[in-house]
Formats: sequence, structure tokens, C-alpha cells
Amino acid sequence: MIDFIVTKYNYLFYIVLFLIGFYAIIVKKNLVKKVIGMNIMQTSIILFYVSIGCKKDGTLPILLDSDLHSHAIDAGKYLNPLPHVLMLTAIVVMVATLGVALAVLILMYKQYGTLEEDELLKRIK
Amino acid sequence: MKFKILSLFFIVITGIILIYGVAGMPDLADPDSPASRHVSPEYIQNTYKDAHTPNMVTTILADYRGYDTLGETTVIFTAGIACILLLKNLKGRKSHD
Amino acid sequence: MIDQAPVLIIVIPLIFALLTPVVGLWRKSLCYFWILTALALSAAFSVTVFVKVLNTGTIHYNLGGWTPPWGIEYVIDHLNALMLVVVSAIALLTAVYSRKSIEKEFPNKKTAFYTVFLLQATGFLGIVITGDMFNLYVFLEISSLAGYALIAIGEDGALFAAFKYIIIGTIGASFYLIGVGYIYIMTGSLNMADIAALLQQVNNTSVIHIAFAFILAGLIIKMALFPMYIWMPDAYTKAPSASSALIAPLMTKISAYILVRVIFTIFKPEFITANLPVTKIMLWLGFAAIIYGAIMSIAQTDFKRMLCFIIVAEIGYIVGGIGLFNPTAIKGAILHILNDAVMTAGLFFIAGIVKYKTGFHNLTDFKDLFKKMPVTMGAFVIIALSVIGVPPTCGFFSKWYLIKGAIIGNAWPFAAALLFSSLVNVVLFFRIFEIGYGFDHGHDSGGHEELGSGSLISEAPATMLLPSMLVSLIIIFTGIYNQTIITNIIEHVTPNL
Repeated sequence: MIDFIVTKYNYLFYIVLFLIGFYAIIVKKNLVKKVIGMNIMQTSIILFYVSIGCKKDGTLPILLDSDLHSHAIDAGKYLNPLPHVLMLTAIVVMVATLGVALAVLILMYKQYGTLEEDELLKRIK
Repeated sequence: MKFKILSLFFIVITGIILIYGVAGMPDLADPDSPASRHVSPEYIQNTYKDAHTPNMVTTILADYRGYDTLGETTVIFTAGIACILLLKNLKGRKSHD
Repeated sequence: MIDQAPVLIIVIPLIFALLTPVVGLWRKSLCYFWILTALALSAAFSVTVFVKVLNTGTIHYNLGGWTPPWGIEYVIDHLNALMLVVVSAIALLTAVYSRKSIEKEFPNKKTAFYTVFLLQATGFLGIVITGDMFNLYVFLEISSLAGYALIAIGEDGALFAAFKYIIIGTIGASFYLIGVGYIYIMTGSLNMADIAALLQQVNNTSVIHIAFAFILAGLIIKMALFPMYIWMPDAYTKAPSASSALIAPLMTKISAYILVRVIFTIFKPEFITANLPVTKIMLWLGFAAIIYGAIMSIAQTDFKRMLCFIIVAEIGYIVGGIGLFNPTAIKGAILHILNDAVMTAGLFFIAGIVKYKTGFHNLTDFKDLFKKMPVTMGAFVIIALSVIGVPPTCGFFSKWYLIKGAIIGNAWPFAAALLFSSLVNVVLFFRIFEIGYGFDHGHDSGGHEELGSGSLISEAPATMLLPSMLVSLIIIFTGIYNQTIITNIIEHVTPNL
């Protein structure tokens, strides 16, 4: 058990964060809190991906000067760069979703004067 | 209250499923995991040869997977236009109350 | 030029979308023709690619010239190629159709609307064509973001519906992303074909099972299968007619397409049957969706909302058909993805016309419309007959294959559910025909005489009428030539089970 936690603690933290976000989305009645939960959830996935790229004793995925012209670069020396790239894209997606969600919230607040789910449902009808 | 307990139950189930998945994964920071063995060594070894850029993240972002990056910029563009579409004429709108 | 056709399908609408705001600055009314050009070019290239695939087989296109597991590749096989044609054709027809309804519903937002509209179509096409799992996610998000905005500008209550869609849609996309991450950690690849080969070694690990479960869950949310349909009826009912005619037929069907791709291309059928009770679950979810969708659609008084519940049932057909897991049923399910995209588009065209003419889209608004718009309603009757499943319309044949598959697979409840849903559709549409012909003598008998004089014919505008008529023609033609489609295209993608 301890072994499991020690060797995989990053993945466990991501799950905890993911569940916090998920909880906020499902349970919270305030729409802004739902959006915050959504963001926490997406951030947790980013942490998960970045953890995949981690390597023991690896350095940043930027070639050292000594390796620039060498023909046999030891791949174990550098972190896995691919998950970082994927997450750059995912971060942008996250920001974009947040932007559209907030735009919708602004309009809703203008129109109905509240962002509490119960109140809103009453006012829509 | 009932709803809260029900959703907590649902969330705990999701968590257990996710943790069950984690249990079978290669260890964190394992240099021999498939993720670091299959595709990524080629990126590391060829980055300077292919693109003359020491930063591998840059090479992948702009070269190997440059098309994803085009999609990424399109996502931002979509969000921007979507906000314009939604928020245009906002000042003209009367508040409800 | 022809070698580059696969990428041009995506890049042309993308570049046109980037330039639409510029065109809109210069002259707003040009935007409409601008996006028509883009979608027409895209459709033309889709057809080119489709013909090429029919002649030479699967096309691989490496973006940027990087070899596949390292770069992104487009893989176009028979299924993709056909989907591309269907998606681009529906997008083009919807674009033609959108003109009048946009002018009526929000004339001052034309430029932004058309830009988002084009981006939405680009996202759909990008999802269909790609052979890379992460690239699929990016395009899924482009189409979802555009969809959120297109829905949010609708009538009263659309904002809340769109917000629900944003939250639930993001959960779905996140689940998909987690699944891709789990696959990546076990195989180290993102390319679909590469993953399919590598998965053979790690098929029996718990991580892959969870990965499959999460991708499936994400897609179920995105395609509005029964327990996860809650975001859909509100969103599509409240959306403006032009947006719902684009999103409603395509978003759910494209998610169903991704499901087919995931099950048959990435995880091989052996994995699905060997490790998890997935097919059983899908069969019963499909069953539940059909029954629930049929019952709920009877209860609706709003035409568009009724259509949404019909979609719930139709998604049940597709998922249940895949869940039956025998070649006949899978053929039926794939054919139904295509047919249903066309039929749903047609139905939402009609809903938009009714809204344009009467201002609402309730069932009672159909009153006397059959006299006022005989041509439009003629098209509506053909589409409705296809949804019910009357030969020679295309709806009959996919249903036929599904029922045959259900009988082969001894899934009698599913066959019964299919028949039940057809019966319900008969009730639904004949109720509308009755209202439309004015047989409903219930509340006014005086107006009936006056309308009978025949002087009140006022058809829908040509830009709205033409796409509806084309759709009904397509329905009849695909119905007549269904055997050709099955033997030349769908047989190539049906796995040998």
C-alpha cells in the first residue's frame, strides 16, 4: 500500500483534484462555482499528463550544448517532451472554454439578475 | 441532502475506478515506461537534426505536431468570435429587473 | 492538387473562417456567399477524396510530411470518406438554408454567426478525417466551443441550456482526454493505427480497460445516449433554427462515428468481446434509449423538443446495433448513422421553416400549413415516412438490417423496441399530418371554411425550401441505392466477426 502511494503519488493527487472538480460541478448550486469546478477538473488532467512525461534523473527537454552535435543522444537524460506539448494545447482549450462559459454567465446575469441555479430555474419559467 | 449523498457516492465510485486504473500503470518517473520508450526518444534524438532547435517542446509543437497547434490557435479564435457573437450589443440589452 | 485534397477539406473552411470577419467588415451581406463558397469547395474536395478512396482504397496523408507515429496523419478509409461527404453536404445545405432565418432572428450578428458556423463545420470535418487521437480531441473542442456559442444565442432559456451543455460537454471531453492519457501511458503512442497494433500486447491490463471505459463514457455524454441525454433536448430546442439544423444532426452522429472508430479500429472487436461486458451494456442502453425516447416524444407538445427525443431513440438504434455485435446489425448501425444524419437535418429544416412562418415551433403551429405550403409539407411527409421507416425511403433499410441483426443475435427485446419505436413514430407524425390538414375540428370550425378557399398559398423562401426538397430527394435515392452503398462502402468497414 505504502509502496503503491510512494511510486504513484502524482497520479493519486490528480485523481483527488479531479474528484474535487467533479464534486463542485455536480453539487454546487452557484453557476460560477460550477465553472470553477470545471477548471479544477481540467487542470487535474493537465497535471496527470505532465506527470506521464516525468523521468528519473531527467532534465528539461532542451538539448544540452554537449549534445547538440552528437549522434547518439541518450534519450533517458531528458524528460518526455510529448505530454508537455499536448498540455500546451489542452491549456488553451481550457482557457477558451472558460472564456465562453464566462460570456454565457455574463449574459445570464444581465438577463435574469442571478446566478443561483434554483433562482434561475424559477425565473426562466 | 439526499442528492448530495448520492452524488458523493457516484464521485467515490469514479475515484475508485480511476485508482484501480492507476494501480496497473508503470511507476511514476520510470524511464522504461512505454510512454518514454516508444515515440519520444525519436523526438529527443532528432530534434536538432530535423529542425535545428535544441528545445524539443518547440520542435514538436511547431513541427512534428504543428497541425495540433493550428487547431489550438483555431480554438482560441473560435472562443474569441464566440464571445463577440454572444456579447455584441450587450449595452443595448435591458436588465431584467 | 488532388494529392492535397484530404487536407484541403479542412484547411479551406479554416482559412475562409479566419477571413470571414474581414469580409464582414467590408460588406455584411457577402458573408453568406463567402461561407457558401468555402463549404462548396470543401464538399467538392470531399467528393474527390471519396471517389479516390472508392478507386484506390484507404488514403494516408502525412501532415507536414512527418511519418505517422511521430507526426499527425489523416487516414481516410471507406467509412471516413462517406462520412466526410455526408457532413460536408449537410453543412453546405444548412448554410444555404440559414440565410432567411438569420435575417429574421439576429440580423446584426451575421458576421460573427457565419464565422462560428463555418468553424463548427470545420470542427466536424476535422473529427471525421483525422487518424490521431489527440488531434481528434482538438477538433472535438473546436466544434464543441462553436456549438456552445451557436446554441447560446437562441430564444429565451437558451443561455441556461447552453451553460448546461458547456458543463456536461466539458466533462465528456475530459473523460475522453483521460482515456487517451491512459492509453498513452501504456502504449506511448497517439496514432490510431499504431495504438491498435501496440494494444495487442497490453490488452489485458486494467489501465486499458479503464481507458476504454472512460472514452466510452465521454462519447456517451457527447452523443446524448439515454442516461446522459439531459443536456440535449433543451439545447437543441432553444437554439436558433440555423444552428440546430447544423448541430443536431451532426454532433450526435459524429460521436457515434467516433464510437465505431474506437471500437473497430483502435480496440479490436476481440478486445471488446473478450474482456468486458461492453456489448451487453451497449445493447441494453440502446434498448432503454429507444423506449425512453419513444415515450418521451409522445409527451411533447413542442415540435423541436419532440425531434430531440426522436434523436434520443435514434441514437439508441445505433448504439444498440453496435452492441448486437454481428455483421448485419453493425451494417445497419453504420447505415443508420448516415441516414439519420440526413433525416434529422431534414426535420430540423422543417422545424426552422415552421418557426420562420409562424414564429413558434409547437405542434399546434402546423395548423393548416399543409394548405399554405404544399411543397414544403410534401418534403416533410417524405422525411417523416423515412423516420417511421416506410420503403423505399432510406430509414426503412437501416431499420431492416437492425431488426434482422437483432433476430440473428436472438435479441428479441431489442427487435421489439425497434418496432415499438416505429409505431410511436407513426403516431407522432400522423398526429402532425392531422393538425396540418386541418382535420382537427376541435376548437374552431369557422376558420376552416375560409382557409379552404386555396388563396392562401405562401411557400417558404426558396433558400429554405430548396435544401428541404434536396434532403427528401437524397432520402429517396439513398433508399433506392442502399444495396450499392452497403456492398461498395459499408462492407469494407464491417469487421469479420
